[in-house]
Amino acid sequence: MTEPQPPREAARIAQEEEAGLVARAVAGDRAAFGVLVERYAGVARRVARAVLGNPADADDAAQDAMLSALVKLEQYDRRRPFGPWLLRIVANAATDRRRRRTVRHVEPLDVGLTAGGPRPDTTAERWALGERLRQALAELPERRRMAVVLFDVEGYSHAEIALILKLPEGTVRSEVFHARRRLRTLLADWKEEG
Amino acid sequence: MKDLQPFDHRPDPVLGDALRRALDPGVDGAAFVARVLARAAQERVASWDAVLARWARPGVAAAVLVAVAAGFLLGRAAARPPAGARPTVTDVLIAPPAHPGEVDVVLASVIEN
Repeated sequence: MTEPQPPREAARIAQEEEAGLVARAVAGDRAAFGVLVERYAGVARRVARAVLGNPADADDAAQDAMLSALVKLEQYDRRRPFGPWLLRIVANAATDRRRRRTVRHVEPLDVGLTAGGPRPDTTAERWALGERLRQALAELPERRRMAVVLFDVEGYSHAEIALILKLPEGTVRSEVFHARRRLRTLLADWKEEG
Repeated sequence: MKDLQPFDHRPDPVLGDALRRALDPGVDGAAFVARVLARAAQERVASWDAVLARWARPGVAAAVLVAVAAGFLLGRAAARPPAGARPTVTDVLIAPPAHPGEVDVVLASVIEN
């Protein structure tokens, strides 16, 4: 039986493994690229959705980012972790798409929902909470949204998020803090209503 | 949910979980992966087409140049006289001299010796 790996060691092994996958993908191995896409599809789609709101737009942006990453794979420095490199491309793709978006528009915010409106029935509770959180996220500035999702949902460190968003680490800390304060208020209201 | 400290370096699991559920695209993850891979395959084919298209003109120009050069060389070779028309070394050595020595000079030389 194998010994459980300490997190740092496990991360190092995962990074080495990803560097190998990238090398194979660069050499034209479609299966290796498939593994990378599968591994990062979830986080890429969530980050894109945090920026764009609309799931279809988010999927389009995540797909564009994956394809763009495939083209740029040779530029990736294999000594660095792959995730932040890919997510920077995802963040850029989502931001570009949001700027270009003219046909689809963000639905107007229901003030009653974010300010603690009437509680929906229990069968729709989970859906309604998700809807509230999405709307609350939509209220936040874009980089604040991405920062809190990358930190609290995806588990990236402040330093890694700084690399992804091209921001100073201190700014990332501040963005995460302010986003959490807003979202926590919303969750607390939700609990009190319950 | 734990109390929030300014610049807390630890992820908040409750908030993280709620956000994950809110942003989760659903169960169609495999379909998304398949879609990306299909597009990647298309892009790869398209990129090869683009490479071939980019090289088509220079390729045709180079082929024309090679054909012209080859034609020129072949033409020159055909215009030359055939190799048999030139005297070979053997011919020169075996052939009788154009001006054979005078018989009397030769006789005189023999008599003197």
